[in-house]
Amino acid sequence: MGFFRMQRLTAVALVAFMALHMVVVHYPPGHLDFTRVLERLANPLWKAIDIAFLGTALLHGLGGLYDALIDMEQIAMARRAVAGGLATIGLAAFGYGVYTVISFSPAALAALR
Amino acid sequence: MFKTTGFISFALRRFTGVVLVLYLMLHIWVIGAATQGAEAFNRRMEVFASPATHVLEIFLLAAVAYHAFDGIRLLLVNAFRVTGPRKSMWYAAFAVAALLTVIGGLPLLLYALGISY
Repeated sequence: MGFFRMQRLTAVALVAFMALHMVVVHYPPGHLDFTRVLERLANPLWKAIDIAFLGTALLHGLGGLYDALIDMEQIAMARRAVAGGLATIGLAAFGYGVYTVISFSPAALAALR
Repeated sequence: MFKTTGFISFALRRFTGVVLVLYLMLHIWVIGAATQGAEAFNRRMEVFASPATHVLEIFLLAAVAYHAFDGIRLLLVNAFRVTGPRKSMWYAAFAVAALLTVIGGLPLLLYALGISY
């Protein structure tokens, strides 16, 4: 899949993911606390949605950053290094995010109660 | 060139995109505290609990809304070849993003000011 096609596909997915995320997590403001996050993430479907959202956001975001960086002439000469650096950051952030999401479990929720 | 809607659209989309990807990294780090328990999570959340950061969230919402709606406009222009009204579509995308920022920003502003509604 070409770079711009990937940016387009992830963009469309992100519009849906972001709308869902804002409505479910951030509105009304101020209601976000640990127990609520835990309750939602105890559900495997939410885990899957959040992991997909995370991966899509990282692909689109770091892809966009790559595009912006290589538009600069001096950086464009090192495009492979830029791509490698951003891929490493992306993989690390994805790994950390997935670890966060899968750490939530019904057992952790029960321990809180 | 710098005054055309095409350039303004590109510059704003790129600026908001860079802001959003940097925010995404911060967001992943903040939520990551949840693996260390409620106390660590709430403590890390408190770093961003000042009224000033809640006001910054309104700008974040504006960045998300603009990036999304201008992105949809770009998709219509590039992928579906809706090129005729591309200038009016930019004004429309900007207006919808502004409207959404006002509607979504008002609860954030009231919350930042400690006003219950």
